[in-house]
Amino acid sequence: MFLIIGRTIKESFINFWRNGWLSVAAVSVLVLSLFVVGAVFTMGMVADNVLKNVEGKVNVSVYFKSDVSEEKISQSKNDLESFKEISSIEYVSKDKALEIFKKDNADEPVIMQSLEEIGENPLLASLVIKANNPSQYQSISDYVSNASFKDDVSRINYGKNKDLINRLNGIIFQSKKIGLVVAGIFGAVSILIIFNTIRITIYTHKQEIEVMRLVGASNMFIRLPFIFEGILYGVIASLIASLILMVAIKFINVYASSVVSSGNLFTFYLSHAPYVLGLQIAIGAFLGITSSWIAMQKYLKI
Amino acid sequence: MKRESKIKKEEDNIELEDRIEELEVESDSTLVRFDHVSKIFKNDKAILDNINLEIKKGEFVSIVGHSGAGKSTLLKMIHVEESPTEGSVYFDGVSLDMISRRKLAYHRRRIGMIFQDFKLLPQKTVFENVAYALEVCGTPKAEILEDVPQILDIVGLGDKMEKFPRQLSGGEQQKVVLARALIHKPLVIVADEPTGNLDPNNSLEIVKLLLDINKLGTTVILASHDHDIVNKASKRVVVLDHGKIICDDAKGKYKIC
Repeated sequence: MFLIIGRTIKESFINFWRNGWLSVAAVSVLVLSLFVVGAVFTMGMVADNVLKNVEGKVNVSVYFKSDVSEEKISQSKNDLESFKEISSIEYVSKDKALEIFKKDNADEPVIMQSLEEIGENPLLASLVIKANNPSQYQSISDYVSNASFKDDVSRINYGKNKDLINRLNGIIFQSKKIGLVVAGIFGAVSILIIFNTIRITIYTHKQEIEVMRLVGASNMFIRLPFIFEGILYGVIASLIASLILMVAIKFINVYASSVVSSGNLFTFYLSHAPYVLGLQIAIGAFLGITSSWIAMQKYLKI
Repeated sequence: MKRESKIKKEEDNIELEDRIEELEVESDSTLVRFDHVSKIFKNDKAILDNINLEIKKGEFVSIVGHSGAGKSTLLKMIHVEESPTEGSVYFDGVSLDMISRRKLAYHRRRIGMIFQDFKLLPQKTVFENVAYALEVCGTPKAEILEDVPQILDIVGLGDKMEKFPRQLSGGEQQKVVLARALIHKPLVIVADEPTGNLDPNNSLEIVKLLLDINKLGTTVILASHDHDIVNKASKRVVVLDHGKIICDDAKGKYKIC
């Protein structure tokens, strides 16, 4: 068994080498399609990461009227805490709000000055609510605006980020879709090209195949070299594709580092590289085997 | 209509009984049996027409006839390169219809094939050509190194192992093919016009080798339209004409009856 596999693998390497330019053509088309697959996959991971970041920054702020007491607010907070969808509620008092505001605008002398002129604290106390899932903000804000303490509420600050998230989601979805279509087209083209390469290999080995059948080589022995050849195309192409992808990301890194939370797209890619490479090898081998198989069904008489 | 089918059924029954009888007689002396074998191609031309032929173990059978008489098709059925349109071919007591594609390779290892056009691999040496037959069947290297030179010695090419086929004469090439056919220790050597491309001297040598092999117990089936070599063999001769057996002589000469 191992003897057979060893001999057939050797045979497929020789085929690969002797086919020369044909192999180059097959591999380069496969590299293209696997590059697209890898790029789409990486983009998807980056997009998910970005989305998570943005989602983490979303919250609903419920501002209370300035005459509402602190007790009442904490009562409302208790009321809201029974909500399953809410992951955290933070109470921001008037003083705290002022502190944050001052810090944020420390280098804006005009604002600081006008604040001083007002004399008292113009800011309102608020509850900052974070939900488990961004889609739940709507219902939370609906609840607050109909709650028992609705008369104490000055305004609910929600919706600013919502559009952004929706748009981001849409863009990511669309680009994933386009990416998959492009990858599919390239995949189909590579199947055709590998199919043709294997067909020619079968043709050039007509004599050997005939002799093999004659002397009683098992079907597996006759077929395996072609299957291995297909896998070989897949694996070599996926290695090259992931190398190109790595270099490409290294280049993009300078411009696009800020998009991921860790701040470095390249290291982000490297930490996920095994998945990308694994996916590429799997798809590459699958394409190789599929096209070999079709070619054999059509041209290899057993 | 009904009556017809009844008669047909009775006929079938009789046939079945015949077959069972035959099977019992067959036991282990029959190697190849053609049972009412016909081969009809799409244009309704019958290449083989109701062939009944039995070849015993250890026999040397020459099959002769004009080209197009169906010799090659008959031989191809033995190693299941062709299948009969009607009837069955039995090999060593088993119907070849029963052999699955997967098992076909193992069936073919019991048969050594020789052809007019040799079918040697030009980029491999004599040794490699013969070794190839073992390699593709998964024989270990040590065994290959032992068996191949032995067989090549038997056919008289022990000193030309490292030569390429193009460096050999036609007769020598055919001996390489013979060595390759023998390497699996087959039950039968099937030779389809083995001397078609050879001059008379080389032809005689090949026939002598085939006779020697036969003496050692291997069945030989030889298709040829060469008078000399069939007469030289002077063994059983089966004459095919237009897909039918018209003569079957136990100790025959080449003739068109």
